[in-house]
Amino acid sequence: MLKSLRFRLNGKLVEIEGREEQPVLDWLREEAGLTGTREGCREGDCGACLALLGRRNLEGTGIEWVSAATCLLALGELDGRALVTVEGLAGEGPTPVMKALHVENASQCGFCSPGVAVALSHFLLAEGPRDEAAAVASVEGNLCRCTGYASIGRAARALSSDFSGLPLDFPTRLAALAARGVIPPALAATMQDLPEPASAGGPGGSPPLGGSPPLGGSPPLGGGTDWYVRNTDPAPGLSPRFVGRDPELRFIETRGSGEGATVALGAGVTVADFFASKAVRAIAPGIERFEVLVASPHIRARATLAGNVANASPVADLTAMLLALDARLVLSGASGARELPLADFFLGYKKTALDGDAIIETILLPAAPRAFSFEKAARRERLDIAAVNTALSLAVDSGGAMRGVIVSAGGVGPVPLRLRKAAAALEGRKPSVAAFREAMLAARDEVAPISDVRGSAEFRKRVLGRLLAAHALRLFPGAFTAEELLA
Amino acid sequence: MKDRSAPSALAAVRFDPGDRPESLRNLTGATKYLDDLPEPANLLHAAVVPSPSGHGRRMRVDASKARELDPSVVVLLAASIPGENQMGTAVDDEPLLADGEWHYAGQPVALVLASSKRLARAAAALVRVTGEELPVVTDPREAFARGELILKPRVQSSGDLAGAFRAEAEGGKARWIVEGRAESDGQEHVYLETQGAIAEPVDGGLRVVSGTQAPSGVQKAVARVLGVPMRELEVEAMRLGGAFGGKEDQAAPWAALAALGAYVTGRPVKLVLSRRDDMRMTGKRHPYSTDFRLALDAEGNFLGLELDFYQNAGAACDLSPAIIARSLYHAAGAYRIPAVRAAGYMCRTNLPPFTAFRGFGAPQAIWAMEAAVSKAAEATGIPALELQRRNLLREGDLTHYGMKMEDCRAGRPFELLLSRNPAARLEAEIEDFNASHADRKRGSWVIPLAFGVSFTKLMMNQGGALVHVFSDGSVSVSTGAVEMGQGVGRKVLVVAARTLGIPEDLVRIERTRTATVANTMPTAASTGSDINGAAALAACEEIRKRLLAFAATFLGAPDNELSLGNGLVLRGGRDSGLAWKDLVAKAHEARVDLSAHGFYATPGLSYDMQAERGSPFAYHVYGAALVVAELDTLRGSSRIVRADLVHDGGVPIDALVDRGQIEGAFAQGLGWAILEDLVYGKDGKLLSDTLSTYKLPDMRFMDFPIDIELLDDAANPKAVLGSKAVGEPPFQYGIAGYFAVLEALKAARPGKAGFFDLPLTQEKALDFLDGGN
Repeated sequence: MLKSLRFRLNGKLVEIEGREEQPVLDWLREEAGLTGTREGCREGDCGACLALLGRRNLEGTGIEWVSAATCLLALGELDGRALVTVEGLAGEGPTPVMKALHVENASQCGFCSPGVAVALSHFLLAEGPRDEAAAVASVEGNLCRCTGYASIGRAARALSSDFSGLPLDFPTRLAALAARGVIPPALAATMQDLPEPASAGGPGGSPPLGGSPPLGGSPPLGGGTDWYVRNTDPAPGLSPRFVGRDPELRFIETRGSGEGATVALGAGVTVADFFASKAVRAIAPGIERFEVLVASPHIRARATLAGNVANASPVADLTAMLLALDARLVLSGASGARELPLADFFLGYKKTALDGDAIIETILLPAAPRAFSFEKAARRERLDIAAVNTALSLAVDSGGAMRGVIVSAGGVGPVPLRLRKAAAALEGRKPSVAAFREAMLAARDEVAPISDVRGSAEFRKRVLGRLLAAHALRLFPGAFTAEELLA
Repeated sequence: MKDRSAPSALAAVRFDPGDRPESLRNLTGATKYLDDLPEPANLLHAAVVPSPSGHGRRMRVDASKARELDPSVVVLLAASIPGENQMGTAVDDEPLLADGEWHYAGQPVALVLASSKRLARAAAALVRVTGEELPVVTDPREAFARGELILKPRVQSSGDLAGAFRAEAEGGKARWIVEGRAESDGQEHVYLETQGAIAEPVDGGLRVVSGTQAPSGVQKAVARVLGVPMRELEVEAMRLGGAFGGKEDQAAPWAALAALGAYVTGRPVKLVLSRRDDMRMTGKRHPYSTDFRLALDAEGNFLGLELDFYQNAGAACDLSPAIIARSLYHAAGAYRIPAVRAAGYMCRTNLPPFTAFRGFGAPQAIWAMEAAVSKAAEATGIPALELQRRNLLREGDLTHYGMKMEDCRAGRPFELLLSRNPAARLEAEIEDFNASHADRKRGSWVIPLAFGVSFTKLMMNQGGALVHVFSDGSVSVSTGAVEMGQGVGRKVLVVAARTLGIPEDLVRIERTRTATVANTMPTAASTGSDINGAAALAACEEIRKRLLAFAATFLGAPDNELSLGNGLVLRGGRDSGLAWKDLVAKAHEARVDLSAHGFYATPGLSYDMQAERGSPFAYHVYGAALVVAELDTLRGSSRIVRADLVHDGGVPIDALVDRGQIEGAFAQGLGWAILEDLVYGKDGKLLSDTLSTYKLPDMRFMDFPIDIELLDDAANPKAVLGSKAVGEPPFQYGIAGYFAVLEALKAARPGKAGFFDLPLTQEKALDFLDGGN
């Protein structure tokens, strides 16, 4: 529905009465006349609509810039934030990023090119490693049907070496990028702070202009990265509740101490926040290696953990991981708050324990460290929805026995599953071929997959067994061979 | 990993990005595509209502709910069409809007017009289409069994087939006869810009901006639907956001629908398909089911080949006859086989009409032939590389359709590739890896290429150009070529600049308009720069001739001493003192015509359809590719780890453009071979109808080393400036990806026979790994 919104677009303050539920992509193209941001798929899979989104960082200490698919971004999300489109980046002519792509002829039909340029600009702007692998990975959310990516890869590698010495702290890095023309200096000067939102309480906090309750309802959105895939043209009466951008809900904190300690993740915590978190990495050492298997850089920057859970997709990757980490949920609504194990949250296909206006306010993880493994079978290694996924976590006691084993699996039933029989086959035993083979057989018996576009039921059963074997090989390297486990 | 026996020739080619202003416009977001144009004030937006299922009749359309949503909504049905309700070009079997019966899920039934895109789409979703359901056939062999064929089967044959397949025991030479079935699935184009058109009433006629590879084809189709002369319609194609064949014939319905809306309402109408509608409503690469049979003598020489192509044509003819023709021509791949029988059956099913896609029937044939080679290597124990080398096409060979191979280069790239990757070293590379890795296996495959260039429909090998030299010396070039990222504009620009001897920045390539260059053919069949470049060359030569004649008078020099170069009139190769700009200005004053129309009809083509004999191609493009794949034997997933391509590109007009075409085509070919999975339900509905369910190559999939070497000393006398067509041929290199993965699978299960069911997905790989021998 119509809301007063104030944000910065390409460095200039914009104050409008806008349809908060409208995808930013449509607003840019139809209202703002900025057509360099393009619609390729309208579901976040192609990256042709990427723009840079400036927002408060997780810690609340400053600004962070992420690349965002504007087809999955509500206009209302911009209130009190800043957006930079390809036109803003190119405000003073082609930038070094664009020239790097240009000299490699990495723009053929050109339709995807602005999105690629935005993704690579973000690579230079963002924190994180700046090696060749990271440069190439930064365009994993961009589809190009012309180039075969070789020329884009060459350009990305050239940029990583040309900009290898960028300063680490954001203001200095931004200044360096401005000095070298990656960001026009005048624009860069606006990129270190955010405007005041039009609504005092931030987005979602402002009263509707008309005064009547929203006609289209108020679905709670984390990043909206899944909701907008299913609701490509939301009705004008809709007034989403932008949970994901409430600063009060974007936190990761350790509560309690000793054996009962938990790590609490707020509803606004993004997938990228999760994998970057020291507290999370302490629980599941090495978990960050699985980040690339989940969605794409621009989706991970906006999708929330709570949203991933609330969608109740049977193949949600983060949910499979959280199940194996023994997560509990705090559900909170007008009628109060309650806590329940994540495994009890799913009541049936796309049916959950959420009712009324309740949201998943907090996700709680036991803080005790566990060995952790995640596996996923999908058509494509990156940015694909799993046919089957699974996570396994356990501790090994002083006697070498596996304790507290949790096995999760997605895509093998109507909801994300905890495979209790498979876990029981391992519990209390020393890791052995026999134990894991029993777990694989047990898993096969306790799942009931269906056939669909991502794979047949038989394939899913078969691949699940192999993925469990992969867990075993990862967690106990050298202890046994794939051949023994699969024999 | 290995030392290079020869440095890449591409490294020596100067990649000069030059100014290429269009590339910088793309990258800064300044390029306008159809949907980026400013919208006229009274624009109506359109959406299409699809048929509800795969097959039905006694159709009823209830649009009352759509009109209730907003009374201004307009719903047009077949009865609204003033001219013929027909889009078919080869066969009249494709109504623009379904009328009474429907033949595939997603067939357009109604056009909905409204004041906004959102409203048009919402209203279209409320239109109810019902009727009597009829049985749905999706399998081409089932359609064949039911006699559902489009046109008559086509059969090409040569040599003594019975003799070729006579076994040694029966007094023949055939030591081995291998046979089998090769299944290849379809492929979605995924041009990043979806189909669309804008139609606007102008001066009593219509101006149509269409996202098409074939503006004249759209003009003709719209004229037929509206029942107006072609002169009343101007069709313009802007730069397309990719096409790959998908906008050759199948851009026309959307342009015709927009034009219908504008004709009926008198207002401009824009129709841009959503990704999902585009995927559900448009045709893709044809799925084929092919039977193969190959006879070999004791040394491994190919004696005879039989291929039966069951082409899944979908519900209407579309371009299927031209596509099956290219399959037949490429039945023997790059091999010489004395006796061949190749038969093609265009099977009518209840799927969207399958259509042109890069390769146009050749990939399906080359794939089946290569399956026969793979099976022959298994049966004979002779390495595939040896079979391939022994049987490669040679100079002077006659193909099974009677074309003499001249300037045949099948052997050169193959040998060069093997000199870069000697067979023994390649074998050792793979074996060493496999011996030292328990959970991973590698496999490799080399594929040779001989790809015929020309439209298989002979009359289509023609094109025109219009060149204006303005009085300030700058130049405008129009041709029938549509720029869709393949760089045809760039190539035509280079041709014009070189012919006129002027700097490239003096030349502008215009959008493609039917009132500027008429009766053009689709920009397709890799011929875009061959035909349009040659037409532009003809026009520029005509202007050059006039200008040099004028310069001869002006300078008082014999015109055979004069030439144009470096922006100057040269006399005996040296500056005559007369600059291009001055020459043009003075010629203009002297009333010399500074405009010319050029025309090109590819010479030397002939084909007798009755005899199935002739020379349908101007020349062939040759090459060879090595692909190495690695299989994760635990998970059944695989990835490509390296590729080495040797390609015959003639003398590239722009090596940077050609490199991009080779890399891009290779990626699409790999996608088709091992990744992209087009899934239709038994009810004929597309299940993989979004980019979240249909996965095409991404950066990670293609992130492996690719070496490309262009043949040197490769000038092609049959095309403009010694170049060769480049769009489609390298697609076939991706087919090697299938066999590389298959070889890795066979390394994991030694002794187990291969299977031929493309794409080679993880699911099929696990079936192979887990299944019995």
